[in-house]
Amino acid sequence: MSSSLTSLYLVNPNPKAKRKKETRPFIFNLLHHQSKKITLIMQPCSREMQAMNSLLNPTQQIPLQDLQINGNSHHHQQIHVPSSSQFQYPTPTSTTHHDDSFLEQILSSTTSFPWSDETGPPNPEDNNNAGFNYDEMVLASKLRQHQINGGAAGNPFSAMKMMLMMQQQQQQQQMMLAGRPTVASSAAGGGITTNHQGGEGSMQALYNVFGDGSLHGTMQAKSFVGANSATEMTQSQGSRPTAGEAVTAPEKPKQRVRARRGQATDPHSIAERLRRVRIAERMKALQELVPNANKTDKASMLDEIIDYVKFLQLQVKVLSMSRLGGAAAVAPLVSEGGGDCIQTSANGGSHPRNSNGDQTPSANDRLTMTEHQVAKLMEEDMGSAMQYLQGKGLCLMPISLATAISTATSRSRNPMINHENPTNGSHLLIQSSGGDGPSSPSMSVLTVQSATMGNGGLEGGAASVSKP
Amino acid sequence: MMNTPQQVKNPSSSLKSRFITRFLGALTKITAEDPISSSSPTRIFQRYRRIKVASNKSMAYSVRSRRIWSRAMLSRFRSRRSAFSGRRSSVKTTNCTTSPPPALIKVTINEKKTAKGGLDMQTDELRELVPGGEAMDVCNLLDETAHYIKCLTTQVQVMRKIVDFYHLSK
Repeated sequence: MSSSLTSLYLVNPNPKAKRKKETRPFIFNLLHHQSKKITLIMQPCSREMQAMNSLLNPTQQIPLQDLQINGNSHHHQQIHVPSSSQFQYPTPTSTTHHDDSFLEQILSSTTSFPWSDETGPPNPEDNNNAGFNYDEMVLASKLRQHQINGGAAGNPFSAMKMMLMMQQQQQQQQMMLAGRPTVASSAAGGGITTNHQGGEGSMQALYNVFGDGSLHGTMQAKSFVGANSATEMTQSQGSRPTAGEAVTAPEKPKQRVRARRGQATDPHSIAERLRRVRIAERMKALQELVPNANKTDKASMLDEIIDYVKFLQLQVKVLSMSRLGGAAAVAPLVSEGGGDCIQTSANGGSHPRNSNGDQTPSANDRLTMTEHQVAKLMEEDMGSAMQYLQGKGLCLMPISLATAISTATSRSRNPMINHENPTNGSHLLIQSSGGDGPSSPSMSVLTVQSATMGNGGLEGGAASVSKP
Repeated sequence: MMNTPQQVKNPSSSLKSRFITRFLGALTKITAEDPISSSSPTRIFQRYRRIKVASNKSMAYSVRSRRIWSRAMLSRFRSRRSAFSGRRSSVKTTNCTTSPPPALIKVTINEKKTAKGGLDMQTDELRELVPGGEAMDVCNLLDETAHYIKCLTTQVQVMRKIVDFYHLSK
């Protein structure tokens, strides 16, 4: 049956169907699980981004549950300008194993406290948790960005820098909120917990902190970090110089050299990077949906997508045509298995055929004429060719699809067809074999044969409908 | 009509099932109002359009307002309906169902083609295809496209099955 064709275009279940309510537990997983923390972030990165964006917008106070794409789309630019000063992307992620061990140590030592505190209280207020999760979002986003941006072999140095960043932010937060220069990691947990009740004010404060200046902020943090050497830095940073050189070559074409430590990155480049990443994600998702999606080039992928959408829309059109039941002429046509299957049932201009026999030869002639006409038109302009075909109620179709349809329908047609040969004009297949069209190689849809098949079928069915 | 093969994933709430129920309802209404045997060509054409609209509308309603494209489509239907009734309705163009005049589009497309890569041209084309696409940025546009494609494939699947079913039953 033609269901074999539909299997071609089966829809994959959308893995990202639900965007809400998953960010926070995800972040907790990220920070609680000791292994492969960075790789965990890879997946729902878009959610984090949205969460971050929503949180970074001080005026809006969007609760975490309300991460809609639409709402956040235009917040990106303004969001990143103030906060991007804080962002630094030292180096690529650490994906090697010993990096993970470093990470684990650091994460366990520094972050176990604050995050574990977070799991206790059941989110009294969205703002509080938003303020707290802002940190998480930022960290997670940074980690993720490292992973995405970095490609070269990760080194522990980069991991250390990331940890450093996290701690800096933690400490800054504590500075602002708690008002005490907390240094030890344990104090970090306490400081953050006490500031849960900060609410909007704390959010604003946080926002200001991060917006005020990366330089002195990070400098201060660095000094704090230096003081912190007891637990964290000995393992990681102590010996390493803080020479945050830009390490890897930029991956994205527009990216400049990564910022050195203590230097603000251009907010525009960050926003740009973010945008590109999201677009790449979406393209990947689309690639799964669209068949024949082995193109690596963005432009050709977009072409495929456009063609596929056109194809689907045209299919809907044709299928709705096929349900008309056509004129009464169609039924006798089909039941006799008439050679002429091209029925311009939709167009009011064409005349329905009422008798088969004498019309069959002329039908064939008409078909070849149509074919020639269309071929001529196609050389000039695909658009007009398509329009011509549509005016006749016909469509184009790639050969493979056409043969599949014809075999399917001829099989199902057998009880009705007495003897007719399918070879003559019964398939009007005008294939534009690859690369003809200006934009796309594959024009598509259904032959009217299948449409008229549906016609005959539906008439019987429709008759049963109208008579109760 | 009652034995239509329905392949639903979840019995009650999947997009497919919602669409199927709506569309079959609309289809029965259309076939009831418009008996096939007595149709002139123009009536046939009208009927085709009605079915097509019914199919798209059913899908849009099944998606509700969760998506930009469905909202745009629904507002387009409503405005069209009110336009038909003769009133000059204030068409809501927040979702921008009407694209700029074709001449303007052509000009911008050519410019962009020469200026940047071909991506702008293609995104514009995509905007025209996906309802409500003009008012979206590229990121959302791709997202909406993905969902739109999913819904279209569902639509086509269902319609095909209906066609096959009726064909078989004959």
